[in-house]
Amino acid sequence: MSEMYIHSASSFIGGENTDPIFLKEKLSSYTEENFRRVNRFILLTLLGARQCVHNHVLDFDTAIYLTTEHGNLGETASVLDEIYTAGSLPKPFGFINTMSNTAAFYLARNLGVRGRNIMVSSQHLSFERGLELLQVDFALGATENALIGGVDEALLSRIALEEQTDRVFKMVNGSGWLYVKSVKDGACGEFSEIRSFSDGHACIKWITERGKSNVDVVSFGALIDADEAAAMKEILHPLAEFDYLCDYGYSGSATACGLGLFIMLFHGKTLLHINRDQRGHFAVIEVDRY
Amino acid sequence: MICSLGDSLEEIVDAVRHKRIRLERVPFTLASLPYTKPYYLIERNVTDKLHNRSEAYFYEVLFSAVSRAFLDAGLDRTEIRDMNVFFGSTSMDVPVFEGSHRKSSSTVSGIFLRSSYGYGKIAGAIVERFGIRGNCYSFATACTSSANALLYAAAMIEEGLIERALVVGYDLFNNLGFYGFEALKSIAETDYRPFDRTRDGLILGEACGAVILEGKRRKTGDFMHLGGANLCDTYSVTSHDEEGFAVAETMNRALRQAGILPGDICAVKAHATGTENNDRTECAAMRVTFGCEMPPVTCLKPFIGHTVGACGVNELILFTESVKTGFVPSTPGFREVDDKLNLTPLTENMEAGEGIFMLNYFGFGGNCTTLIISNKGDRE
Repeated sequence: MSEMYIHSASSFIGGENTDPIFLKEKLSSYTEENFRRVNRFILLTLLGARQCVHNHVLDFDTAIYLTTEHGNLGETASVLDEIYTAGSLPKPFGFINTMSNTAAFYLARNLGVRGRNIMVSSQHLSFERGLELLQVDFALGATENALIGGVDEALLSRIALEEQTDRVFKMVNGSGWLYVKSVKDGACGEFSEIRSFSDGHACIKWITERGKSNVDVVSFGALIDADEAAAMKEILHPLAEFDYLCDYGYSGSATACGLGLFIMLFHGKTLLHINRDQRGHFAVIEVDRY
Repeated sequence: MICSLGDSLEEIVDAVRHKRIRLERVPFTLASLPYTKPYYLIERNVTDKLHNRSEAYFYEVLFSAVSRAFLDAGLDRTEIRDMNVFFGSTSMDVPVFEGSHRKSSSTVSGIFLRSSYGYGKIAGAIVERFGIRGNCYSFATACTSSANALLYAAAMIEEGLIERALVVGYDLFNNLGFYGFEALKSIAETDYRPFDRTRDGLILGEACGAVILEGKRRKTGDFMHLGGANLCDTYSVTSHDEEGFAVAETMNRALRQAGILPGDICAVKAHATGTENNDRTECAAMRVTFGCEMPPVTCLKPFIGHTVGACGVNELILFTESVKTGFVPSTPGFREVDDKLNLTPLTENMEAGEGIFMLNYFGFGGNCTTLIISNKGDRE
């Protein structure tokens, strides 16, 4: 795979009812720009990403990959109420903000970058699929520096999860980001594996066939059940499991937040993150933290 | 492809060749506004009327377009099973929620917040319906959504990460978009006239298009993706820098990635929304890119409307299928040159053979995407 070095990471996790005013206040410690007509999703995006690249000077060409399960759907509901309940045309900026990529736009403008600007989603594997796009762009030389993040509001995360698992998590607003470059100089970690499997058997076979593993820490996505997790730990014999979902809570972008937390908390360790979607597709991400 | 011009490619291309369009007027009943605005609506039979639509209708249109793409490409069951799905849309499944509201006492937002499964749901429905085992990628970058889906599907094939991709662009009528663009005062009164001096905005349309991409040509005349680019113009969330430099940079990067020069382009499919800002920006950008050697330019939205996030795939289909039958489409409705733009799009169909073509797409959030395609013989 292309060399993808992590130069910084962040994970902002807010309570289920995080007030946008609180987010604005937090954001003001990273930027002087006063954001008007923005909603919670946009503020979460800005705050998580600004925390990630705090103290970094970004290249003009830096790309942004925003992954999400639900995007701005919270604002979409409000705008639908303006039309259907209030019987009026929506407010222009309310309508514009129903397009979730506006969050990636405000981030690009605030950071002064003009590279690729992509927003992608894939049920329960949005961050993993975003990483695959970034990997392709690195391989083709379309970009050399990128911010990749996952952002989701608590409000909408519960619905998609409850249908798929009996596990109960605290719902949070999550914004996890990684600043990734193709050069190693100054990096704090790297992606050493990004893989997808069409089922659990293929994933376990790959883990088994890798032979002696240098994985120190494992973490699992929300839809991995106890039996699947136990089978994988049996093969990997990790030193520890990082159960970020129990420790920090769940949002649709929990994977991005979990990886951000790993970079912040586990110096000198290697993480294998294993996730799956409702179809039984598996995805693994291996990260070496220097 | 299913759009206001019909649901068979032959019927659609014939309508384009003869500049036939089908435009209806839709009232703003919910807001009690005393006027109507034009819209390019799909209407295959009486059940397609807006007030009759349901979730089943939404998926019937989608699955029908995808089935036809599989059939046209001649894919067998194994090839379908193993493919990856790239989906692009602006409205995603909002039309489903609006349809459900008509049959329920709940508010639309209530239904929405109780039952929304996120942006990935529609691609998930496609893989479930057709037994596809590959990965799904749903792009939500406003009007460039399905153009970006095409860009990444092609890139993944080029990198050898996947063999084959189904790329779908789908946006169905929804009041969120119709009322939203009216709130922005962006919708034209009667006719769609991009680049025309008297242009007065965009006209929305609905369409579902599906294309199959793979690493090798199956049929003579199949198009190849030579390269592409995506960049963000941070000038404004709703419009682009009118000097056109960011848009031009996107075009230039796409040309470089394709390994060709501006002079190699035989024709440009402009984004051409017909709004004041888009057309000024796009003309300026084309002048920066092509200088005084401007290739012929065509605008396809006057045929099927601005299908927002779906326009990437649907305008690609409209363009390539027209070229396959020997012509680059003209731009219906163009009457008067705008001196400030000094650009006349094709007003008559242009004979087309083998060549390299540029397709441009822009969207809210500063999103700019350019694709370079060719129907020339296989490159060495």
